[in-house]
Amino acid sequence: MKLIFTGILAGLLAATAAKAEDMVFTSWGGTTQEAQTKSWAEPFAAASGIKVLQDGPTDYGKLKAMVDSGSVNWDVVDVEMDFAIKAAKDGLLEPIDFKAVPKADLDPRFTTDHAVGSFYYSFVLAWNKGAISGEPAGWADMFDEKKFPGKRTFYKWSAPGVIEIALLADGVPADKLYPLDLERAFKKLDTIKSDIVWWGGGAESQQLIASGEAAFGQLWNGRVFALEKDGADVGVSWSQNLTAADVLVVPKGAKNKETAMKFLAAASSAAGQAKFAEASGYAPINTKAKAEMPADAVKSLPDAHVDGQINLDMNYWAENRDAIAERWYAWQAK
Amino acid sequence: MPAGFGGLLPALILVTLFFVVPVLALLLRSVTGPEPGFQNYATLLGDGTYARVFFNTFLVASVVTIVTVLVAFPVAWMLAIMPSALASIVFGVIILSMWTNLLTRTYAWMVLLQRTGVINRTLMDIGLISTPLPLINNLTGVTIGMVYIMLPFMILPLVGTLRAIDPMTLRAAALCGASPFDAFCRILLPLSLPGIAAGGLMVFVMSLGYFVTPALLGGTSNMMLAEMIAQMIQSLLNWGLGSAAAFILLVVTMALYALQLRLVGAGRATGGV
Repeated sequence: MKLIFTGILAGLLAATAAKAEDMVFTSWGGTTQEAQTKSWAEPFAAASGIKVLQDGPTDYGKLKAMVDSGSVNWDVVDVEMDFAIKAAKDGLLEPIDFKAVPKADLDPRFTTDHAVGSFYYSFVLAWNKGAISGEPAGWADMFDEKKFPGKRTFYKWSAPGVIEIALLADGVPADKLYPLDLERAFKKLDTIKSDIVWWGGGAESQQLIASGEAAFGQLWNGRVFALEKDGADVGVSWSQNLTAADVLVVPKGAKNKETAMKFLAAASSAAGQAKFAEASGYAPINTKAKAEMPADAVKSLPDAHVDGQINLDMNYWAENRDAIAERWYAWQAK
Repeated sequence: MPAGFGGLLPALILVTLFFVVPVLALLLRSVTGPEPGFQNYATLLGDGTYARVFFNTFLVASVVTIVTVLVAFPVAWMLAIMPSALASIVFGVIILSMWTNLLTRTYAWMVLLQRTGVINRTLMDIGLISTPLPLINNLTGVTIGMVYIMLPFMILPLVGTLRAIDPMTLRAAALCGASPFDAFCRILLPLSLPGIAAGGLMVFVMSLGYFVTPALLGGTSNMMLAEMIAQMIQSLLNWGLGSAAAFILLVVTMALYALQLRLVGAGRATGGV
């Protein structure tokens, strides 16, 4: 019995030793992580011989638990940018080693001391052409119950986006959004609250629009892109599209920090970004990436709709994340 | 030391290690995070929003328990008096539903219940209704989805109790001139109470902590405590507040259990016959 145990233990130790060079990449699952695997992890593994294990979905609670307990199993994690700024302040992240990760071509909007951009996206207004009469022209139409009766869908969680949309619809000029007037935003949202269906994840938003359960809504542009690719009859308005970003971070105490930095270099390279953007419809954070993409793929990126585009203020959100969240969930539960 | 205590030691160590220690850690975190004191409890008990979420949680759990009892009783009664070969097939079907993935079953209900779903489409096609019924994103959706999941946990203890009832008691009641309604109210129901209490408690307690089904089939105004705790832990990283909420839920649940023990008796409350 004892012998068997020792044998198993030795075997396990050998297995972990062999895995020392491997690393773990964690993201949100679904079509996004598939594209990240194909565009970043597979070419990286082929070039370096380092195996990239996939885990997910990203869970901020888990990330904190790992860092707090000193047993960090994730090496690179895809997170929302406002979270990354807050997490860096809370000491949950490793600083990026910019000697290993070339910084020159990275979009400075999405690069910080503790994070490298993963991709950036826009919230757009999308609708099911069969479930709606006429075409919504902008965010104000999502609040116009006379012109567009029926259910509409918004992002469920407290995050950059919905508050800004409500304020824009209420006539706040784009350059006067911040600091956010929460009172005014909730008052505007109250006018349509009973007709809001919330979506909690990308797949749910697609299902709601594709089935016509909600005639129109605020979606991530990549999810609309995927619906169009699948042949769904959807329309999209890029008017006042709102950009936000996902970034890649290395949790404090990650076991394979150096490997992680190499992976970040590959993921943020022009080639890696071009490949991912083409597969997902999300925009590259490497300024040289578009040159490596087919012209028609560039057309469906948020980059092609910079006219009237609004950058959601990640620093403002990082600063006020908890206070807004408290109000947000209290309002939702009412 | 009572005889046989030594044999219980491994079980006691296991329970202490995996149940008592984590609960104590939870309690500790609720009064230390982010700083020492009872401010987490003050926040939870003093804020209208959290009070509403607590109320929702108990409302949903109560409604689900009552509806589950009402649906489960006839099924259990049928199973108890059925020929045993047939009963085991029906049992198999009920158990089989428990083995199917929870998420899959909940998504299936979404497809059935939504405004453009099968039920509303059919009702509209045959002209019974002209606008879709609101079956999802509200209390109705949560109740339907959760009752469906909880049914086996009610049916199984109830069948055991019902089978143990001597059928002659019912016949005797009829002979003495009791109507079927009287026989049900004064013989069958009182005798089956232990089963109802055991199943009901299990369903109620499980419902209190349910997460997936309310999140997918309910609306934000029916948010239950488990979902709120998940938000505190995962998204806000406010572990002190989340721990306090979890601990309050635990205390209330234990109080209810104690109350039931006093009302029904220990053996009966756990389904022992």
